[in-house]
Amino acid sequence: MKKQKVVILDNEQQNNHDLDAIHELQDGLSKVDQFPVYTPDLQWFENMVITEKENNRKKLRKELSLFLIIALFILSGIIVSFYQLPFVFLFIQIITPIFIVFYTITSLRKKVKINE
Amino acid sequence: MDPLIKSAKEGDHLAFAMLFKENYPFLVKYLIKITMNPDMAEELAQETMAKCIQKIHLYNGQSKFSTWLISIATNAYIDQCRKQKRENQWKGQEEVFRKLKWHFESRNEEWNDALEALGKLPVDVRVPIVLKHYYGYSYDEIGAWMKISSGTVKSRVHNGILAVRRELKLGEETESRHTRQRTTK
Repeated sequence: MKKQKVVILDNEQQNNHDLDAIHELQDGLSKVDQFPVYTPDLQWFENMVITEKENNRKKLRKELSLFLIIALFILSGIIVSFYQLPFVFLFIQIITPIFIVFYTITSLRKKVKINE
Repeated sequence: MDPLIKSAKEGDHLAFAMLFKENYPFLVKYLIKITMNPDMAEELAQETMAKCIQKIHLYNGQSKFSTWLISIATNAYIDQCRKQKRENQWKGQEEVFRKLKWHFESRNEEWNDALEALGKLPVDVRVPIVLKHYYGYSYDEIGAWMKISSGTVKSRVHNGILAVRRELKLGEETESRHTRQRTTK
């Protein structure tokens, strides 16, 4: 019983030290909050929003056209192979699902490793 | 939902600008606390606002707008550290703290050793400590933002506080007494 009491006191002391460290941190961080931060005017923020929206629109247009060009290229390749080179067409049909399964498994494994 | 946020979601530029202006000092100060670097904090604040414009349709109004901004800013900073491995590139701590120290000196404030200890911690420990013990967010919220379990957040915060304690030399007597007891047994 006596031994247990000593352990509790030590734990309490450890907790107190934790609280001291937390208070020191809070004290330092609250000083950062008192720093003056230069805030640009409303016009600056509005210009930023307009520019950013325009950039997003451009990016979307670029990505969509790239996607369409690649899709068109792949589809025409597959159609040509279907009529002219049936073996190549079959090879692509077999290899593609295997590649997708393999790629998904490896990327999932990587994610698990990162989270570990 | 706040009418300003509603207008921003509908594409009103001015509403967006007003929201950002209102939350800008809060955002920059949060970023200074986690980056310890006022210049980087301003850069990241702009990046956060840009991401916010892209993702405004995902904001459902369940949490405060400032909380949503903090979650985006946290991810932006962690992503930047991962991409550029800034942690490894931090050559000298003196270099990193120089501007923050200068801010303290210019306001005749004494430099806080706890901040230096906090700055020495890795980013994935420093961020949850600030979010938990300064802003008071729950382990679950922090875990959801950082895409880790709340248990992991808890252990990172605990270990981080221990590291700060060690740096500040708090409770060294107790620790050395424990070691002495263990060696004598």
